[in-house]
Amino acid sequence: MRVVLVGFGNLGRGLSRAFIQKASFLHRSYGLIPRVVAAVDEFGAVVDEKGLDLARLLEAAEKKGTVAAAKGGKRGKLAIKVIEDVEADVVYELTPTNIKTGEPGLTHIKRAMRAGKHVITSNKGPLVVAFRELDSLAKRCGVEFRYSASVGGAVPVIELARKLLAGNEIREIRGVLNGTTNYILTRMTTEGAPFEIVLREAQELGIAEKDPTLDLEGIDTACKLVILADSLLGMNAKLGDVRRTGITRIGPEAIRLAQEAGQTIKLVGIARRGSLEVGPKLVPLGHPLAVGGTLNAVTFELDLAREISIAGFGAGPKETSSSLLGDLIDIHRTLGG
Amino acid sequence: MRVKIVMELEDVPGQLLRALEPISRFGGNIQSIMHQRERKTPLGRLPVMLIFEIGDRARLNRILAALRSRGIRVTQLGEREGAVRTTVLLVGHIIHTDIRDTIDRLNAVKDVMVSDLSLAMGAPGKESSARMTITAADEKRANLAISKLQRIADRKKLLMITSLGGV
Repeated sequence: MRVVLVGFGNLGRGLSRAFIQKASFLHRSYGLIPRVVAAVDEFGAVVDEKGLDLARLLEAAEKKGTVAAAKGGKRGKLAIKVIEDVEADVVYELTPTNIKTGEPGLTHIKRAMRAGKHVITSNKGPLVVAFRELDSLAKRCGVEFRYSASVGGAVPVIELARKLLAGNEIREIRGVLNGTTNYILTRMTTEGAPFEIVLREAQELGIAEKDPTLDLEGIDTACKLVILADSLLGMNAKLGDVRRTGITRIGPEAIRLAQEAGQTIKLVGIARRGSLEVGPKLVPLGHPLAVGGTLNAVTFELDLAREISIAGFGAGPKETSSSLLGDLIDIHRTLGG
Repeated sequence: MRVKIVMELEDVPGQLLRALEPISRFGGNIQSIMHQRERKTPLGRLPVMLIFEIGDRARLNRILAALRSRGIRVTQLGEREGAVRTTVLLVGHIIHTDIRDTIDRLNAVKDVMVSDLSLAMGAPGKESSARMTITAADEKRANLAISKLQRIADRKKLLMITSLGGV
């Protein structure tokens, strides 16, 4: 399968490493040989229709900060050109998220679909802004569209519901979907330390960003909830439809009071048809959503199976490559490979 | 049938046992006992809410007669689905926004009461936290109380944290 990588940050690099590490496994198990024929980032692109040497690509990108520094690379070459001109089967859209406009990912995805290429993305922006549009465009263009990595990182939330729970009606989805806030709440619980100190620690460890607003105010969780609502509950929700409260007012005192009652505080996203909510919730200790550290967890409430919960690592390049790779294998199988 | 009664007991040792004995003697299966310490009567009697299962009306009448003959006053009697308890946290200037008023307004909802309250003060000038247990006759009443508390919290600019899955 010929693959184009659009975006070569942590996720693009993590995926490339997985391609190298898993090459013989993929061939042996699925008869799948992913051939990366182009890589693009904001500075330029490198194209080789015979397949790029991924080890060299990684080395060049890490040393010089762009894929254009790899052998044969061109600075200033635009992603749109590569997406439309290079012969390929699948486009990975892995550029940074913009939740207001969805760009540049949104344009990349549309162009790729119109050019008859299957699309796999981890990018929440385009999904939050235009899920229905992209979903129907994929159908009209007759291409596959996968976005497992956009929610839950390595945790196969969407695929679990879509494939293995396909016979159920989903009544409600509840999830701890943001590793940063979960880390902060967990540290306040275990250390009894004030919010500001735990936040600084998280920033030093690279778990929280310099501007942590999107995480702390529950906006990142709300984005993921919109994607789950649109993809699994058949809704056409937008970010503004989510009632949202962040965690900035929660201190160690509140957590201690919760603990005394056998509970803990988690930032939980709750999606039900017609109602989307993100906010801190009391969760009983030992409940499937009472996961610690940066973990993510999701519980589905279903008509037949009643409740199914799943937990795991919600971020990280290696962990997320599990979902990105899974999507490629899934498309390969769907197409009869 | 499931029965809820509220009776008033003297606040001295042994009273509860005296009240429970007839219930179990006539085949009642006690499911919940709740002291309403904050609702002590002017005479110092303690309201106790009891929920129990009993086979039929005749047995219930025998229990009530036995309680009467022991001088135990039953102030409320009704068939109930059973008590529902839910815990909420409040964060904000809880004391300055009159916690007493918050509790009174919840207690004013029929068949609802604040049965437990814990406070943790923040540093001076900082926000405090409170944990409240609300007990209601049934789920509908509990939800009613939660929405009322949410409105009060919004007005008093308190952050309200409810239990996952509502009541």
